[in-house]
Amino acid sequence: MALGVTEKKLDHLHWPLVLCTVIICSLGVWNLASATKNAPLLMWFVQARWMGIGVIAVAVLLFIDYRWLQTLAWPGYAAALGLLAGVAFFGKKVLGARRWLQVGGMQVQPSEFVKLAVIVVLARWFARDETGVRKGQYGVFDLWRPFALIVVPVALVMKQPDLGTALVTFAIAMTMVMFAKVKWRDLIFMFACGAGGSVLAWKRFLKDYQKQRVLTFLNPEAFAKGAGYHAIQSVIAVGSGQWSGKGWGEGTQNQLAFLPEQHTDFIFSVWAEEHGFMGGVVLIALYAFLVLAALDVAANARDKFGSFLALGLAALFFWHAFINVGMVTGLLPVVGVPLPLFSYGGSSVLADLLGIGILLNVSMRRFMF
Amino acid sequence: MLVRRDADDIREIRPRAALGALVVVVAMLVLSVRLYQLQILRGEDYVTQSIANFRKSLFVPADRGLIKDRKGRTLVDNRPSFDVFMTPAFCKGRERDEVIGKLKQYLQLTDEDVERIKTDYQKSWLSKDRLERFKPFLVELDIPRDQVDVVEAHKTEMTCVNLIPTPHRAYHAPTSLGHVLGYMSEVTPDEMDDHPEYRRGQTIGRRGIERRWERELRGADGKQNIAVDAKGRELDKDTQDALISEADRLVPATPGNNLVLSIDERLQESADAAFPGRAGAVVVMEAKTGFVLAMVSRPSFDPNKMSGRISRAELAKINEDPLKPMLFRVMNENYHPGSTFKVVTSLAGLESGVINPGSTISCGGGYTMGNHRWRCDKPSGHGTLDLKHALGMSCDVYYYAVGDRAGLDALSKMAHDLGYGQPTGFDLGRETPGIIPDTHSIAPVNGSARAQAINASIGQGEVNVTPLQQAVAYAAIANGGTVFRPQIIRRIETPEGKVVRDFQPEALRKLQTKDSSLLAVRAGLFAVVNEAGGTAWRSRLQDVQFAGKTGTAQVMKLGQKQKLDPTAQAYFSRDHAWFASFAPAQDPEIVVVVLNEHGGWGAEAAAPAAAKVIEAYFKMKREEGVPPAAAAPSVATSSMVQ
Repeated sequence: MALGVTEKKLDHLHWPLVLCTVIICSLGVWNLASATKNAPLLMWFVQARWMGIGVIAVAVLLFIDYRWLQTLAWPGYAAALGLLAGVAFFGKKVLGARRWLQVGGMQVQPSEFVKLAVIVVLARWFARDETGVRKGQYGVFDLWRPFALIVVPVALVMKQPDLGTALVTFAIAMTMVMFAKVKWRDLIFMFACGAGGSVLAWKRFLKDYQKQRVLTFLNPEAFAKGAGYHAIQSVIAVGSGQWSGKGWGEGTQNQLAFLPEQHTDFIFSVWAEEHGFMGGVVLIALYAFLVLAALDVAANARDKFGSFLALGLAALFFWHAFINVGMVTGLLPVVGVPLPLFSYGGSSVLADLLGIGILLNVSMRRFMF
Repeated sequence: MLVRRDADDIREIRPRAALGALVVVVAMLVLSVRLYQLQILRGEDYVTQSIANFRKSLFVPADRGLIKDRKGRTLVDNRPSFDVFMTPAFCKGRERDEVIGKLKQYLQLTDEDVERIKTDYQKSWLSKDRLERFKPFLVELDIPRDQVDVVEAHKTEMTCVNLIPTPHRAYHAPTSLGHVLGYMSEVTPDEMDDHPEYRRGQTIGRRGIERRWERELRGADGKQNIAVDAKGRELDKDTQDALISEADRLVPATPGNNLVLSIDERLQESADAAFPGRAGAVVVMEAKTGFVLAMVSRPSFDPNKMSGRISRAELAKINEDPLKPMLFRVMNENYHPGSTFKVVTSLAGLESGVINPGSTISCGGGYTMGNHRWRCDKPSGHGTLDLKHALGMSCDVYYYAVGDRAGLDALSKMAHDLGYGQPTGFDLGRETPGIIPDTHSIAPVNGSARAQAINASIGQGEVNVTPLQQAVAYAAIANGGTVFRPQIIRRIETPEGKVVRDFQPEALRKLQTKDSSLLAVRAGLFAVVNEAGGTAWRSRLQDVQFAGKTGTAQVMKLGQKQKLDPTAQAYFSRDHAWFASFAPAQDPEIVVVVLNEHGGWGAEAAAPAAAKVIEAYFKMKREEGVPPAAAAPSVATSSMVQ
């Protein structure tokens, strides 16, 4: 089994995915430059530097067959849990939440890498597990092991608290489960139980002040400044973009700081305010393309492990983009979820690019036996 | 083996991946539709909201109109001053306490003030309307110049504190005009609900002219639109220019109109100086127009105090004063007219034919009806009198007889014709109508209609009149029978001096009396002052002959004043002194009415004051040449600092 990249393999590189990533990254940096025009720090430059580091890492990793990740799955998973535990004990507290680890001069947000670790470890499990094959299909109770794998990291992320990342991590895992051969009946049963249980608990067992407490616990920032303020300002920003937007650097909601967190969670509002409906639809289409490309990689992978890796990453990009845009346009409640390659943040950029790298790696080796 | 099975599995994944792709496309379409909905369908709404976010209207106060006397002397104007405001949204938590601490030191605030500020802060901070905390609230009104400098010097430490230049009202007129002019105070939340053009912390006219003519005086506030960021900081010039169009930047304020009164400030001062009592009223009015020249209501209040910072203790002192300084005695209190009412009885007698000017009645010191005897002022009696001498010496018995013969309803009708028993129409708020009894209205406990007529004939019993009604009635007698509506506004002018509205004399009606009747009454009033034996003979003047009637109204019932201490009781049980007069007697120009509450005898406690006012009027007329008339249009003082 050759570990090098031949010319043949370079031809097999998923170029549309590369192009799409490059466009998103470029637009992201350009948009960030507008969002942080008044900030003392050159954030767009910092972001571009992280992207550069990410691209180099990806280029190097392309030389290594992704199947090595099967070996790294458990150590990686353990390391991720270790980091989360580290956050819980030594984490830096910002706005009431412990999410960051101080490493040298940098702040690392381990929960971004935990998502990758969970994807890898689940892909390994689904690739190796024979139960589904033996029975023909998985039943609900056959899945206790993957559930056990995701419960711990999700719980730790929830504890920070970071509802957005916990939800996304959980959603990614659930999506991967759905792609395994689980009985439809059992899938529906699972969702019905989960949804029914939550609704019942909310309506019958929780008192108003408890609900308020739960909401505040899950989402401290939104309640710190008065519920709904962020969401309202974001919707105003998006809506006031109209057809073609106010122009780069001209968004009043963005530039005059009416938009909260405009360089992280609400970065899409900046884009939509300054580039309007046309810009917004183009960006949504780019993310759709990215996810479809990942699904394409999954459908054409050489082995089950590669396929599940790609599915997990497709889910990662999909849920991030969907929840983020849904949230800033007022379709979904405000939970902190970054927009991949658009929101400011080194950990998130690095994790996303590593994800792209894995997709390219899987795709590149699809014809090898 | 493993690889082959993988390939099968992946083949099975494909339909699910296709389904996944469909879900992705649908989800992204949902997001696009949402964008369409927000940006295209509701885009304009959100543009408006995003503009409202950064656009802040600074308010440019309009200069309030001036109030002048008939000769153009400024009675009320505005002076530049500074109010301190605070915006809760811009200082929170510890900063709030620091700022309030500094304000306490710089403005020398009391603990009471600090409590009030904290309460106001909390109120707007906790308001359901989240924008409320961005509205500045008043910390301190009209701070002295040196404090302005201190606050200005520490501006950077207190970014949430603003010094707002606000013109404040300055009252230069004598305080005796307090009730007439009124004063200003902060608008209440209820008033702001009714009149959204008022802002929190602004003042509104209270009482008198300030209140009645609020709309003319106020003008319209302007505004300056500026762009701010989310923290309320003003943006730099270039951004301002880009965000707010030139035309939209400033809406200038429209200053209020000026009012020219018929009041003569000098005569007002003379009338105030001439009035001897602790409480009472003086009304000086043009006999042939109804325009008021001077109007004293004592005790009064200082509008400057009432409009500015007045402590609770000072307010309480005013409100608890038994002399009721806030009461506008000219039109809001009524009194028995006493003998001044004999002109009404005279006219009623003459018109009903029960007497004629020459017919005589004998006074033996009393008048008997049934088993009751009404005594005359002079116990020994006046002997036989005609109308002139009866008025001149103020014989009660003569009038008991005339009133008895003419009847209560004849008296009542004549009184109503002269303007008693109803508001005069003076345009300065609600008036007390007074009471003129007739056979339908009298309470039987107070005696028969005949007894009531006898009481009413000398202005006692149930008869109650205001000083202003006296002026109107005596003016009608003096001018030959025209009842004028009393007025105090001569003109409304724009700040540039252009006349907006010129007020004309307003005759309410003409008396249907014979000229001979009025002549006879005037002859009697002439005798009061100018013939030996007349009750006001000692007040006659050398240069000007005037006519008038003294009155001494008995104050019988003490009622709720019983609680007062003996000296106060002695005061409050004394008679009211009246003098109603006009001058010159032959061709009357002015009417002067003096009421000296609890002053005693009209001849002693009221007539001399009226004489002094008349003397002052003619002295002034000689000095100033032309009769007091239209003032030259005048220009408003320059605009305040914005």
